[in-house]
Amino acid sequence: MNVLKSFLRFLLKLLLTPFRYLNKRRNGVPPSEVRHELPNDAFLGLVSETLAEGHTTIIWVKGYSMRPFIEFGRDKVKLALAASYQVGDAVLAEIAKGHYVLHRIIKKDGDMLTLQGDGNVRGVEHCTMADIRGVVTEYIRPNRTLSADDPCLKRKIRIWRALRPIRRVLLFIYKALI
Amino acid sequence: MKINEGFELRKVCDDYVIVAYGRKNIDFSKVISLNESAAFMWNAVVGKEFTCQELADLLCKEYDVDAQTALQDVNQIVASWKELGLVSD
Repeated sequence: MNVLKSFLRFLLKLLLTPFRYLNKRRNGVPPSEVRHELPNDAFLGLVSETLAEGHTTIIWVKGYSMRPFIEFGRDKVKLALAASYQVGDAVLAEIAKGHYVLHRIIKKDGDMLTLQGDGNVRGVEHCTMADIRGVVTEYIRPNRTLSADDPCLKRKIRIWRALRPIRRVLLFIYKALI
Repeated sequence: MKINEGFELRKVCDDYVIVAYGRKNIDFSKVISLNESAAFMWNAVVGKEFTCQELADLLCKEYDVDAQTALQDVNQIVASWKELGLVSD
């Protein structure tokens, strides 16, 4: 099974070479400088504090759970505090004491929120409005910056969410594009 | 010289980082980190006037280092702080 998967991925990569090239040209490639990483939870605690003080912040995002909209190592996001949060917003949430995720709101039921990473097939997180520390207002890629209000991006996010039943297949194809 | 206003040294686990609280947007992707001795110097002179010689003396008192090496290190770090806009004359 694994051999078949690797073969399929290789074939896809080969087929998608022109698109991979276009993707790199459009979004840019990850910077090559050496990065000093701070421990996630302590660092995001500091980020939360500065957001609560009314600042906006720019951070690198760790992990692959927000694929395809945020690519680990390539993309940064700009965060800000907002008066209210809606379904479709990518938010920084403290889902347990000192444990943070940057995922998208997929369901809102009064004060209760359900979050899921764009690149996650199954796992969801539950939290309340009070656990939200900030919302993504900009997706910063090496070659371009996308506003979270961009109608085209919003449409893409809606389509991506609607295609959740086949997300695993789409992610498989996306990985061949990166 | 003096450390410019709007900067604050914060400890994140074992790391020291300088956060530019004076600005509306804080870019954590370009954060300035200090090692322990640099953080010690920062804390010693924050909010007051200082010279490189004073910093070197402090460094000699706190760490096992000779005066000449201390002054060299201080000159180097103060030059980089100036370059980054953290310190002004």
